[in-house]
Amino acid sequence: MAENPYIVEMRHITKRFPGIVANDDVTISVKKGEIYALLGENGAGKSTLMSMLFGMYEPDEGQILIRGKEEKIESPSYAAGLNIGMVHQHFKLVSNYTIAENIVLGMELMKKAVGIFPYVDMKSANREVAELSKQYGLEVNPTDVISDVNVSTRQRVEILKMLYRKAEILIFDEPTAVLTPQEIQSLLQIIRNLRDGGKTIILITHKLEEIRQVADRCAILRRGKLVGVYDVAGMDAKKMASLMVGHEVQLTLDKKPMQAGAAVLDVENLHVENEDGFEVVKGVSFQVRAGEIFAIAGVSGNGQTEIADAVAGLMKVSGGNIEINGTDITHFDVRKRAETGLSYIPEDRQQVGLVLDFSLEDNLALRNYYKEPFQKNSVLQRPVFHKYGNELIAKYDIRSANGNETMVRSMSGGNQQKAIVGREIEQDAPLTIFVQPTRGLDIGAIENIHRQILEERDKGKAVLLISLELDEIMQLADTIAVIYNGQFGKIAPAADFTTAEVGEYMMGVKKS
Amino acid sequence: MLNAINSVIIDGMSFTLPLFIMAIGGIYSERSGITNLALEGLQGMGAFVGALVAYILGQQLGGDSRVPFYMAMLFAMLGGCVYSMLHAFLCIRLKANQVISGVVVNILAMALTSFLTKAINRTAFGAPSDKFDLGVSDRFTVPGISKIPILGAFFTKVYPFEVIIIIAAVIAWYFLYRTRFGLRLRACGDNPAAVDAAGGDVAKTRFIAVMVSGALSGLAGMCFAYSISAKFSSDIYMGYGYLAIAGYIFGNWEILPSLFACLIFGFARSAGSEIVLAAGLPTAYSDLIMILPYALTLVLLIFFSKHNAAPHALGEIYDKAKR
Amino acid sequence: MNQRSKNFLKVAVISVLLSLLAGAVVILILGKNPLSAYYNLLQGCGLAPKAKYGGSQSQLTDLSSYIDYWTPMIFAALSCAFAMKAGLFNIGISGQMLTAGFIATITVGYAENLPGPVAKILVVLIGAAAGMGVGALIGFLKYKFNINEVVSSIMLNYIAKYIISFFIQMYFIDPVSRQSRNITDAARLTFHQVDVGGYKYDLPIGFILALIATFVVKFVMDKTVYGYDIKAVGLNRTAAKYAGIRVGRGIVSSMAISGLLAGIAGVTYYLGYFSSIQPKVLISTGFDAIAVCLLGNSEPVGILVASFLIEIISKGSAYMSSQAGLESEIASVVTGLILLASACNAYFLGRMQRRQDRKHPALLSAAVATSADSGGSAQVKNSPEAGKGKKV
Repeated sequence: MAENPYIVEMRHITKRFPGIVANDDVTISVKKGEIYALLGENGAGKSTLMSMLFGMYEPDEGQILIRGKEEKIESPSYAAGLNIGMVHQHFKLVSNYTIAENIVLGMELMKKAVGIFPYVDMKSANREVAELSKQYGLEVNPTDVISDVNVSTRQRVEILKMLYRKAEILIFDEPTAVLTPQEIQSLLQIIRNLRDGGKTIILITHKLEEIRQVADRCAILRRGKLVGVYDVAGMDAKKMASLMVGHEVQLTLDKKPMQAGAAVLDVENLHVENEDGFEVVKGVSFQVRAGEIFAIAGVSGNGQTEIADAVAGLMKVSGGNIEINGTDITHFDVRKRAETGLSYIPEDRQQVGLVLDFSLEDNLALRNYYKEPFQKNSVLQRPVFHKYGNELIAKYDIRSANGNETMVRSMSGGNQQKAIVGREIEQDAPLTIFVQPTRGLDIGAIENIHRQILEERDKGKAVLLISLELDEIMQLADTIAVIYNGQFGKIAPAADFTTAEVGEYMMGVKKS
Repeated sequence: MLNAINSVIIDGMSFTLPLFIMAIGGIYSERSGITNLALEGLQGMGAFVGALVAYILGQQLGGDSRVPFYMAMLFAMLGGCVYSMLHAFLCIRLKANQVISGVVVNILAMALTSFLTKAINRTAFGAPSDKFDLGVSDRFTVPGISKIPILGAFFTKVYPFEVIIIIAAVIAWYFLYRTRFGLRLRACGDNPAAVDAAGGDVAKTRFIAVMVSGALSGLAGMCFAYSISAKFSSDIYMGYGYLAIAGYIFGNWEILPSLFACLIFGFARSAGSEIVLAAGLPTAYSDLIMILPYALTLVLLIFFSKHNAAPHALGEIYDKAKR
Repeated sequence: MNQRSKNFLKVAVISVLLSLLAGAVVILILGKNPLSAYYNLLQGCGLAPKAKYGGSQSQLTDLSSYIDYWTPMIFAALSCAFAMKAGLFNIGISGQMLTAGFIATITVGYAENLPGPVAKILVVLIGAAAGMGVGALIGFLKYKFNINEVVSSIMLNYIAKYIISFFIQMYFIDPVSRQSRNITDAARLTFHQVDVGGYKYDLPIGFILALIATFVVKFVMDKTVYGYDIKAVGLNRTAAKYAGIRVGRGIVSSMAISGLLAGIAGVTYYLGYFSSIQPKVLISTGFDAIAVCLLGNSEPVGILVASFLIEIISKGSAYMSSQAGLESEIASVVTGLILLASACNAYFLGRMQRRQDRKHPALLSAAVATSADSGGSAQVKNSPEAGKGKKV
């Protein structure tokens, strides 16, 4: 009997959620010992598919075969029993526990005190974790507490958790989203090593480059449907991208030459401390000129969002000066800064940019409600809200179920972002700050936002763009500053940088 | 003088320990991630059930039997445990606001126990009354050790329930910090998703944690009924549940520091009333001393709020199917 | 009325009916007639005629007394609602009522020779100020030291209870009643036992204030810039800060106003319906107010209706007890059940909402699509961050 080469088979899987078909008749087969990538945009159904393999949901239709045997995977622990492990995008770690405690959680080693009382044997656990970490080259100190270690260590802990559970099928959900380019390289190496050690890897990602580097085969999903399964060797990035989005992608934007004017934002020797009194921005100086897109590139957590928050007044400045058009705003409150000439599209649109349980019109008026004619004698003028809301909805093509009256919570992410961008651009402020403006949006929405950012610049506004997506920065920026560990490695015109060079500054390898 | 110190210790311990065991109950619940303002109601409901059982048994077995006392302790734990399932159900299954649920459980406990006490007295025992008389529990003195100055007071006129509590507290400590269940329980309060991913059952763990808090609070309520109150009546709702909450907040949600906090509260109380007594002050002065635990906790929170960290996921609804 | 409010009304009515039904079952078990027991409640509040009345009493006497009793609850529930709108939970209403009542009692209540109108105005002002002080303190502790308002309110409740008990017992005790000495008639906010055409009535000034307060609170919440600020702070503090709203000021001021309303509740209770204070007791009004507030959907008009209902059960229970031979505590059991049902309201509302959304899938699909790829589990913050939380 010929051995079945497939360790995982998912046949004709359909999964519906209220109002949406997340997976529609998807069939994939993964060979033992290969790196199999799942490629697709946000919302294409990659994570849903894998959640079913990991036992977090059950499919409405279709069957799952593991090692040739049909299985009804009803829980993550059942999946673990089948030697399936998953590294989630959001780490599932207990912050006040040690690394070893996190790894053994759920599979604790027990000993008995005085022969009767069972207790969790942490001594042996620490030893086993140390051994395991050595065996796979995943360096961790078992007794470190999670809250004290960095992101890439936490990811290694997640991987060790799977290995500790003897996982043979390893699912990685967007594992590189939070890592620096070097860390990404070392992770990809770890993944290769795991494969070479006989593990089967399923990699969920929307980054073409990673797939080209490590994957053997790749399944492309679009809107819940399987587009096809391809051998990675012999595919080019452009082809993959167009299969992923369903139409030819224009990978470059139409960008006019910069017409820079006078400095609008002038930041001098800025220092910012976080809540714990830890300095996260350490003496940063830069200027953003009218008609210029000034981009800050960097790996998440190096102080870039704090710069935006400090300029907008959401975080306290511990040292330095911020001026807008010559007015010192360092000690202004949030509202006064906005009125001086600043709009802000924040990173977290749902938690910061919007009040999700307010209506759309209330959210669109978030910058204006306290001004005349929105209020008279402190009494809100509802008709003005309606009229203004309708204007913006039409102008920025914000789609929702009930127009002005819609609860923003029920709107799609793309339309929520349109509402924020529209509201902020409408302020007509000389400076606009965009932080991660396209995060989690689909390609159509991304194009739309990118066009608006360029329009702002061409209108002669100063634009401060902070993004973790290097591609986005390379496409849009006139000037790039690379931040590492709270300091700028290099500030230069975008044309002077190569992508690789930006990467090196991002990792702090290169310093000027 | 020595006598005064002795009675401070004796009274202090007999108040501290019930408070402490209730605080441990609160720690179980809150370390698992469920805010528990319901301790007050849980101890009252526990004491009601226990007192009812003791009252019935007392009538059957006569005054000298020790059986009613121990059965009361057992049934108080059962009663508190069963009633606490209401809080657990609201918070975990119905995803209600945990603060509101706690308030509801308290109000309902007061209403139900007062009503039932009267109704049962009238219909079953044929005597209109709003209480079940229990009397104060017997006490014992350990021969020998109790003669040691000062230290001996800890072994003098001890309520049997103090021993029960110490045993229960040791078991509770062991389970929370040493066992698999405890490891998962504390993980639930920090990051329930981690427990879920590791194959643990967050809802079940939390449900059990709340039930433990019910059982331990019930025990505490019964102890108060057998000591300070000498009966079950609506007097049981003196706010000891909230005092226990102050205790474990003061103790930073850890068992041993909470014991320390409860000792401060208990001894301040007994020392206070001893001083009031010794100085011949009006009894109203003992009210001033009662302020101390609450004021201390507030002051602690003001000055040490940075070091005082509630469990991360406390009060959060965990919904694994949330999309 | 929008769909949400309609759903809410449906759930609220059902929960009240179910609670009354449960109470009826208990009454049946005790061998009494639930319908007549419930009718007794109405009679006790002057909402239905009694068979006979004592000298100089009438149905209106009972009604006036009921309104007098009802008044503090309106203020207390408004107090709860105001904090709730700002995302805060004022569990200290009873303590604030007591503090306000006590301070007004010892300052104005015992002052001789004050003309009635002046004394009454002073009582309201001092009560409001005292409650406001306590509320502002709670808000300040939250803002400045990040102390959870539930915790600090509980602590302050007990501190107030014991301090005031101490002072009453030391200096203001009436040796017969074991309560604080009665206040002067001039200071009392209820015209007590007023003789009109041979019948005696209790005429509470506070009730008129309560009606005014209801509509002022509604107006402030729905129509003003301040109301917008407070609601934004309540729904999302980070977004409020981003919008330039001074979150700290919002927290402190809303808690202060909540305290102010609780303070007026206190004076209408201790210097209106009653004229003395019982030491060592935190009254249940402040906690029942939470029930009223939940049942009334934290909306002023809803609160007016809900408090009317809850207070009928509460006030009428004494008459029911005397007529039907039932324990008056059955009333608080029914109230407790209504509260229990109200606490579950959010769950059933959510289910209703989802069922309705399913009929209009377009509404939801977009929202699901955005989060569909985040996969796995999520956590929802629900309580005002118990004991911790982000500092804003």
